[in-house]
Amino acid sequence: METISTLPPELIRMVIAVIIIISFIFLNAIMMGYLERKIAGHVQRRLGPMEVGFHGILQLVVDGVKLVAKELLIPINVDRTFFRLAPILSFTPVILPLLVIPFSEKLQARDLNLGLLFIVSMTSVNVMAILVGGWGSNNKYSMFGAMRAVAQSIAYEIPILLSMLAIILMTNTLSLKEIVGAQQKIWFVLLQPLAFIIYVISGIAETNRAPFDLPEAESELTAGFHTEYSGIGFSLFFLGEYTNMFTVASVATVLFLGGWHGPSLPYGEYLGIVWFFLKVYFLLFFMIMIRWTYPRVRFDQLLNFAWKYLVPFSLVNILITAVVVKL
Amino acid sequence: MRESTIKEHNRFFLNMGPQHPSTHGVLLVVLEMNGEYVLDPQPVLGFVHRMHEKIGESRPCQGFMPNTARMDYVCALPYNHGYVSLIEKKAGIEVPKRAEYIRVITSELNRVASHLLWLGAYLLDLGAFTPILYGFDDREHILDILEDITGSRLTYCYYRFGGVCRDIDDKFVEATRAFIKRLRKRYVIYEKLVTKNIIFIKRAENIGIISPDMAIRYGITGPNLRGSGIAYDIRKNEPYSVYPEFDFEVPVGERGDCLDRYMVRVREMEQSLRIIEQALDNLPDGPVRSKVPKKIKLTPGDCNFAVEAARGELSYYLIGDGTGVPYRLKIRVPSYSNLSCLQELGRGILLPDLVSIMGSFDLVIPEIDR
Amino acid sequence: MIETCEDFKNNVLNLGVDVTETDFNQRGYHLEVALTLNTVREFAQKAYEQGFYLVFVTGFHVLPEEKEGVKFSGLEVVYQFARYDRLCRVKARVSVSEDMTVPSICHIYQGANWHERETHDFYGIMFSGHPNLEPLLLCKEDRNYHPLLKEEEKLKSFETVSWPAKTLESSDAETTALSDP
Repeated sequence: METISTLPPELIRMVIAVIIIISFIFLNAIMMGYLERKIAGHVQRRLGPMEVGFHGILQLVVDGVKLVAKELLIPINVDRTFFRLAPILSFTPVILPLLVIPFSEKLQARDLNLGLLFIVSMTSVNVMAILVGGWGSNNKYSMFGAMRAVAQSIAYEIPILLSMLAIILMTNTLSLKEIVGAQQKIWFVLLQPLAFIIYVISGIAETNRAPFDLPEAESELTAGFHTEYSGIGFSLFFLGEYTNMFTVASVATVLFLGGWHGPSLPYGEYLGIVWFFLKVYFLLFFMIMIRWTYPRVRFDQLLNFAWKYLVPFSLVNILITAVVVKL
Repeated sequence: MRESTIKEHNRFFLNMGPQHPSTHGVLLVVLEMNGEYVLDPQPVLGFVHRMHEKIGESRPCQGFMPNTARMDYVCALPYNHGYVSLIEKKAGIEVPKRAEYIRVITSELNRVASHLLWLGAYLLDLGAFTPILYGFDDREHILDILEDITGSRLTYCYYRFGGVCRDIDDKFVEATRAFIKRLRKRYVIYEKLVTKNIIFIKRAENIGIISPDMAIRYGITGPNLRGSGIAYDIRKNEPYSVYPEFDFEVPVGERGDCLDRYMVRVREMEQSLRIIEQALDNLPDGPVRSKVPKKIKLTPGDCNFAVEAARGELSYYLIGDGTGVPYRLKIRVPSYSNLSCLQELGRGILLPDLVSIMGSFDLVIPEIDR
Repeated sequence: MIETCEDFKNNVLNLGVDVTETDFNQRGYHLEVALTLNTVREFAQKAYEQGFYLVFVTGFHVLPEEKEGVKFSGLEVVYQFARYDRLCRVKARVSVSEDMTVPSICHIYQGANWHERETHDFYGIMFSGHPNLEPLLLCKEDRNYHPLLKEEEKLKSFETVSWPAKTLESSDAETTALSDP
């Protein structure tokens, strides 16, 4: 996108970037949905989707068409405004973090000097969507899901921020590009292994993925906050979830796995995106594998884990980092 | 949590079921709740009530055979077994030894299938999706084996008064032996995937503890009772059929929590395999069905016959009046008594724990409702 | 497995109930206890103290009759108890008098709660002292319909559906011979 930065009006540049990102989000959701079902299939010793296209590769496209074509159902007793607002609220903010993520040295829509802060604030809007959807559905199960999501989000955003802080202490910047740049020699995962582990665990919880999928805990709350949603409303939540996963994995790649760095490629400043995507999808693969392996934790266990283990450990980690950096 | 501290306006009711993923069928549990805490769970039964007892009283006893499999459809053969044994006792019909061996083999296979399905379903209740497909994969082999000789996959009607309807062949013996070998290999997978899983242990340990006294007050039987450390198994304590001829253990737990109930069932599968192996080794030759009069006459008077179904004690209690139609047929199903303790067990616990407890009970709702 | 119900038999004889030893191989239970309405609770209490669990509670319907000047409804309630630690099955039964009421035992055996509700559904027998005698298996609209009550032409007398007296004697001899060693 650096090439198009020569075009004079900034606005056009941003519009193009947003269009590319939105189309990427849909593509990512389709890929992730396919990957998830295929990996789940193989984990469970079955084949997964096989019928539509080669090895079911078009299955998610067909599913998408089906979901979009469905009637918009709004139950009688719901709060109509909130009920309609929630899926939009879930989908819109997840686009924005991708604007500041450096996919490779020269592929970044906008390098904010407060990039990390921007991402953190945008991803936390997602919980608002769940709360609004759960409240607006006027269903006790949805309400349970919403309440759980809020408590969970509060509990897990703190360790996420604390583990990021350790990186910020080392790099002295909030700009993602500069953070990646600082990892030219050594990836931060080797210097900050504890922060990385804390970030990944909290990231899974932050995106409401199993084993921390309590807001939608199927066996307890039927479908949690999206019990009443179908068709396009449901698919927007679904898109939001996968994009959030992508964002979390991208930030982990930027902060800990050296972003676009890897064995040198021709046109490295652009093709670094290959390494970036490899790392991101490796993390996503890891998250999918966890989901299909572990049972769900109980709600109090989840909160205990955050407040009693993750927060103290990340505080200790920051302390050690601060001391080492000062020395 | 003390009930007195809860303000009246904080209480609310939540209907769990009849369509809910973890009630395993059409069971409704009305939960009085305070936040995520359950104050009083009240099961509501009868959604699939079919009045099997009345059907049993209104037709000749042969005609009730297919109904026996439609109560507990997950483990139907012990239900067949109890009913045929009862009628044989009441009408004085002799059963060839080979037939009893076949009954034991197929019943135990069915028990293993039931436990495998339960294992997956319980883990599904706890939020793990994968074990149920592993369980189904193994169970599928049993269903194939049983389908070959019984003709059905779920609601069997294989036993007859005086024997079984078809003899087993070499193919059956071979397939069963192969399955035993296969399942023993799969234990390793289950152990790695489930038994040693830290999240699973945390979700099941010290949850839903059934004390021996509570078991007596509610009449809990089967693996749910054995988890509490009481070695009560009808196959051992009140031997029927040819079970005394086999060497097997009755696994018991210690604390009586969900984890113990899980461990008991897992170890029971191995004991069932042992029984099947011994039965296959010592399978006697001979006929599989004795001559039975066309019109069976049930002698006057009452008679009780208890068998160990996969979920506990199944008792048929029959009152005969000299005709071929039972005057009264009472079916005592294990899950009915097992579930009745939920109200006491579920007070003041979290909703996910209630789901875990109900999962560990191994409920089959059509069996409870009959 | 110890196969004896001797101590329990002696224990409940104090209650003034009628206890008969039966042939287990023939009937599937060891003791038959004929209770009266007054001794139901005491008997249940004794059984609980001795470590018996409740297998089921049910009823059956025979021709109404008059015994010693008291009119009975023809309904009988059957209880079955068994033990976890040894082989001893006990059947107890009580005739329901015309007011259709039997004392509930669900404060001794909480498990009896559902069994009694079910018996109430099927036969319309009232259990006095039961906390919640609402329909359990049947729906509330059918609360006055009791499916297991037999039509008049199908009713048989109590004697026709009981074991003949002479087998009882011979089986008694067998039981004592069995429990000897």
